[in-house]
Amino acid sequence: MKSNNIWQAVLGEIELSISHGNFITWFKNTQLISDFDGEIIIGVNNIFVKQQLEKKFIDNIKDILEKNGVQVKTVSFKIQNIAREDTDTIPDNIIEESVENNQIDKINKTYQPLTNSLSHTYRQGLNEKYTFDNFIVGDGNELAFAACQAIVSQPGTRYNPLFIYGGVGIGKTHLIQAVGNYLVKNNNFSKVLYISTEQFVQEFVDALRFRKTADFVSHYRTADVLIVDDVQFIAGKEKIQEEFFHTFNALHQANKQIIISSDKPPKDIPTLEDRLKSRFAWGMSIDMQNPDFETRCAIIKIKTSEQGIDLTNDVIEFLANNIQTNIRELEGALNQLLAFCEMRQLEPNLAITSSLFSSIKTRPKHLSSRQIVEKTARYFQIQLDDILGAKRDKDIVVPRQVAMYILRSELHLSFPKIARELGRKDHTTAIHSVDKIEKESKINMEIKKAITEITEKLYV
Amino acid sequence: MKLQVTQENLNKALISVSRIASSRSTLPILANVLIKTSNNLLSISATNLSLAITHSIGAKISQDGSITVPARLMQDYISSLPGGIIELEVENNKLKIKAKNYTSTINGISADDYPEMPLIEKPSKFTIQSNSLKEALSEVVLVASNDETRPILTGVLFDSNQNGFLIAATDSYRLAEKKLTSLKKEFKLLIPASSIQDLLRILPDENTTINVDYDDNQIKFNVNEIQLLTRLLSGQYPDYQALIPKKFEIKAKINKQSMVSIVKIANLFARETAGSIKINVKANLIEINSIASQIGENNSSTEAETEGEGEITLNAKYLLDALNVIDSNEIDFSFNGKLDPILVTPSNKKDYLHIIMPLKS
Repeated sequence: MKSNNIWQAVLGEIELSISHGNFITWFKNTQLISDFDGEIIIGVNNIFVKQQLEKKFIDNIKDILEKNGVQVKTVSFKIQNIAREDTDTIPDNIIEESVENNQIDKINKTYQPLTNSLSHTYRQGLNEKYTFDNFIVGDGNELAFAACQAIVSQPGTRYNPLFIYGGVGIGKTHLIQAVGNYLVKNNNFSKVLYISTEQFVQEFVDALRFRKTADFVSHYRTADVLIVDDVQFIAGKEKIQEEFFHTFNALHQANKQIIISSDKPPKDIPTLEDRLKSRFAWGMSIDMQNPDFETRCAIIKIKTSEQGIDLTNDVIEFLANNIQTNIRELEGALNQLLAFCEMRQLEPNLAITSSLFSSIKTRPKHLSSRQIVEKTARYFQIQLDDILGAKRDKDIVVPRQVAMYILRSELHLSFPKIARELGRKDHTTAIHSVDKIEKESKINMEIKKAITEITEKLYV
Repeated sequence: MKLQVTQENLNKALISVSRIASSRSTLPILANVLIKTSNNLLSISATNLSLAITHSIGAKISQDGSITVPARLMQDYISSLPGGIIELEVENNKLKIKAKNYTSTINGISADDYPEMPLIEKPSKFTIQSNSLKEALSEVVLVASNDETRPILTGVLFDSNQNGFLIAATDSYRLAEKKLTSLKKEFKLLIPASSIQDLLRILPDENTTINVDYDDNQIKFNVNEIQLLTRLLSGQYPDYQALIPKKFEIKAKINKQSMVSIVKIANLFARETAGSIKINVKANLIEINSIASQIGENNSSTEAETEGEGEITLNAKYLLDALNVIDSNEIDFSFNGKLDPILVTPSNKKDYLHIIMPLKS
């Protein structure tokens, strides 16, 4: 447990320093197997990963381990089939078993996945750890919480459908799962269905493939409460939107409660059909906001008391002050701090905390605005003179605006300063550009990708 | 890097490796092929991190070096060039390709980040003739499962001991096993069936000796100028031997061609029941019956040498698969009760067996 925490901290740091593709390919499914007297053994999936880590990343790993207070003599890698441990338990009479399954109506083995996907119980998907009791109510989520409370008292009558939206890691899933859990526990609702949109899509595709759409339809249309998470992923999938539309109508007409979560309001989900947009907005749409300072403090307190640890108020305030983005990152930082202290047998105090997270604050200081402009120009393969010059061709204007956006988001420069950096006279140009890219990056994947990749390169 | 190579050789090498470079990977560089000079040879490699293939070809090398370029584009381009000499030159991560009347430049990625084919430290070794391996694998690999929820069944088993060398696969509905002459070595290796498919593609038509290196986690086949390395699956393979009945009460010896045609015909009427057909063994006759309640029914028969009488229901597709891979004019078809496994073997050889589980009727 302890050594795993260390490894999680190492992974967390590595993830920031290399590209996402590299991280997923080489570090996913790695494990710390043993740490004996500075001889560290890391378990990897296969020889390709082993060789690449030995060749490319071993120094990196050593540095980060040492930074986290681990004495490192050697780091070696061992191949182990982590994902396949369960295979040993397959019974020997595997073939005889299958006779039973071989009845006429089941002979086609491809039928099997379908029975699996549709035979789940109605509580499937709900995680019992998400309850109202451990949900912390603050300014940003008060309204959503109140609406959910109202729903559990009279499902299907008020706020139907309930549409909750907000950024990542601020507790949408927690809240809507809490509704499901509460109803299952207290009302004996036989059919509470919680499903992620991705799962809905998958089951629908399976149903089409095995010609079992009738089962699929009746499964969803007989639910008493339907909770759908991350509905934005339905965008662009026409056939599924149609199916979802009919399911929605059937349930709504029968006064069954529907709860939907998404990362943006219905009208901002691109390629969502109009009839769905209007239906989503039919009941109540609530925006969940980032937690404020007090709420963040409360969250840290609850999380630490769950683990039986007491943090002093100055540490809690430091964390809450410095990690403002979302709750998931806040929890990550907290875990990193606790792992760090557990490993070195220290009591967490303000000095340790601030040294551990100082990097968050100082990161942008290494950067000059010049670097940002240069890297942006290089990314788009245009000349520095062009991006700073007067040309207004489209292939130069867009990179210029992206550069302004990054100057704003990474260095927090003032608009007049941004305009000067790019050789513009008027600061309104900068305001317009930043605004435009901010909007565009939400819908245009190309631009979003460009921004992420340039920002990644800045910190390498 | 600067060198000259013939279009024919380069094209051949690209064909054997580029298929496994996948553009769907999370790591963009894996959609590329690695082009590299080593020991006066030009080697072309690709990997999908489960399997790696390297194909080495002769070239006139004037300057060593390496680069990676998109596999798809490179292969499509080289295959459309006319035969003859091609010049390759690398400059600033760009690959310049010059052929008669054609020049082009492909933007590449530095080879530094490309995962090279791993070395097997302290390998165990054996050798095998390619034609017998090719025959065995093509007769066995089709029954391996592609259901990832039971990963162990997605492998093909290489089981060698003093008595013989067995190659087997099963998806729990059917099983195939081929016995080859003993290698006088003891090992049990489980190779992913997808890698076996790729191995079959690179095995040459004419016979050659294959050198195999392996350890606990990977295996490498050296086939002439091509090297293929794949990871192994781990876990206990089910003890399938215990499930093969030792004695059969009902047996039939049938001409393979006539069996294939009556099964195919019966299968036409079995679509509704997903291929379920009933086989009836009578005195000197084998009869197949399939019923489609909506369409109609079918009854066809052929002559056979029989022993005992009885009937059994099975999936026509599985039987056709078995018949298609068996290389013999006559086959033996044997079973016991309605629920016991069915054995299909070639009549003239004892080295291959194919088991199909019956359907409950």
